[in-house]
Amino acid sequence: MAYLISEEAKDLLQDVHEFCENEVKEQCKAYDVSGEWPKEIYDKAIEMQLHSLEVPEEYGGPGLSRVDVAALIEEMAIADAGFATTISASGLGTKPVLIAGNEEQKKHVCQKIIDGGFGAFCLTEPGAGSDASAGTTTAVKDGDEYVLNGRKCFITNGGIASFYCITAMTDKSKGVKGISMFLVDAGTPGLSTGNEENKMGIRTSNTCDVVLEDCRIPAANLIGEEGRGFNIAMKTLDQARAWMGCVATGIAQRGINEGIAYAKERVQFGKPVIKNQAMQFKVADMEIKTETARQMVAHALTKMDMGLPHSKEAAIAKCYASDIAMEVASEAIQMFGGYGYSREYPVEKLLRDAKIFQIFEGSNEIQRIVVANNTIGR
Amino acid sequence: MNILVCIKQVPDDSVEIHLNGEGAPDLANVTPVVNAFDTYALEMAARLKESSEGEVTVVCVGEDGAKNSLKNCLAVGADYAYLIKDDAFTGSDSRGISNILKNAAAKIEAETGKKFDLVFCGKEATDAALGQAGPMLAEELGVGVITNITEIALDGDKVTAKQETEEGYRTVETSAPCVVTVTKPEYDPRYPTIKNKMAARKKPIGDLAMGDLADVAADKVGEANAQVKTLKLYEPAKKEAGVKIQEETEEDSALKAVAMMADAKVF
Repeated sequence: MAYLISEEAKDLLQDVHEFCENEVKEQCKAYDVSGEWPKEIYDKAIEMQLHSLEVPEEYGGPGLSRVDVAALIEEMAIADAGFATTISASGLGTKPVLIAGNEEQKKHVCQKIIDGGFGAFCLTEPGAGSDASAGTTTAVKDGDEYVLNGRKCFITNGGIASFYCITAMTDKSKGVKGISMFLVDAGTPGLSTGNEENKMGIRTSNTCDVVLEDCRIPAANLIGEEGRGFNIAMKTLDQARAWMGCVATGIAQRGINEGIAYAKERVQFGKPVIKNQAMQFKVADMEIKTETARQMVAHALTKMDMGLPHSKEAAIAKCYASDIAMEVASEAIQMFGGYGYSREYPVEKLLRDAKIFQIFEGSNEIQRIVVANNTIGR
Repeated sequence: MNILVCIKQVPDDSVEIHLNGEGAPDLANVTPVVNAFDTYALEMAARLKESSEGEVTVVCVGEDGAKNSLKNCLAVGADYAYLIKDDAFTGSDSRGISNILKNAAAKIEAETGKKFDLVFCGKEATDAALGQAGPMLAEELGVGVITNITEIALDGDKVTAKQETEEGYRTVETSAPCVVTVTKPEYDPRYPTIKNKMAARKKPIGDLAMGDLADVAADKVGEANAQVKTLKLYEPAKKEAGVKIQEETEEDSALKAVAMMADAKVF
């Protein structure tokens, strides 16, 4: 573990490690098979306040630096990437309010999390993936209310969230400048969830459609101003991406941990296979990639903490960490040989878990556009 | 209700420990932790405190490194913590430790002006597994003791506890103040919340040394006065690989197992 973290975070890291070892790592195997959302594990995590690490101190959070939090989130990801994704996606769902919301909205969502809830960020639609501006969900003002209609898809935490930050068109004629961001509490009439995805990986996280049918919300639930929704969404993703890099780094680290442990035990040609330099070089390459990813995550988060521009760094962190998570997971399977391909062993899951990190919160192709634009200039 | 919990810092019991070349346990790279039975004692004490009102104080005889364990206790239900440390205490046996603990309790009671109603100890430590300190402390204090408990209830000064025995359980009553030693209850100790852990790091830990404990029996404490000495340590014998019995039917398997036990003259 090479994050440079505070003494108190080192202390917390031990607790989180112990919690994940005892309550998450083994338990998640069965949920990976069933695809069920493991409420009892999340309840224990909530009790320990692991779900509210990103809540700012002034709203009841712990007041840790982002790099401190990253060390803890990575530890959760080492145990189970789906578990860490649920917790991190709740932070994603909260960010639009923290970035552009008013005081009352910030207090509202932070209290929901402190009380044991999760947030969800609703941008993607069936026809609006990488082209996030192509959404067709609408919000029409009616007196002191907005009426929302549309369908969001692939929403992490969609089925279990306490509140949603939802983008919707308030003025179709203005294109992306006609998109606004709204805060909608779970249980609001007209908001429902459906079509839970049967996913390849991160199966301990919930992903589903969020459907809006004449969903009436108070006009006060507009986050920021009308027409600022796309901008808020992009700022949200600029921050959240680094966290996805953090979770992907955790997947890679698990691959290293499992690979080394197995290669020390596995005897072929009369000696543990780790004694072969071919295996040692493999471990070295896995470590080079993982440590580099981790430091890029830390760099992006440090810039964020310092209030500096971080769009490019977050994109690099997310893109690189997820690409190498795939490579490291694949190499971990190779280290296990035939056993690695079996679901009896823990490494094939890592490859399934890692894949989504190249896709969601901006595909890695989009990340490369962000990096290129920030490097070349428009 | 004012509760004292006595803890010991021990090497992590989830790690397999071997003897080094000098016949001593090789504890390099083994993390010190709070003795598991003491964590059960603290959890039970914290639950009792939370079910009514009161305070939990934790004490530990040990070195400076034990402060970390005490901070961990402050994060999971303890309100105050004291480290009892003096070169003169090093190498004390259970008799010495219980005398030190009695005097530390008296000192804390005098300082705070509040008597302890209950003293909780783990049933034994996971390192030496002697199980003596709790009962000896009760003797030093001149109060009753209930050992190996898994549940406790307090009604006025009547203490009722569920005691684990080799045969099962029995309910035992005594009156407070008393000492109880705790074995694994039905529940697990809580994890520290993030905020409690952060707050615990900032709480002070009291220091008590020989000079603070006026009535410590100087002839009972320290290695020179220990009446029990460890002469040699042995590693547990390695278990032989078991035999797997898997006949065509469960009935056949059971019959074969019984036949094998009969051959081995187990019965």
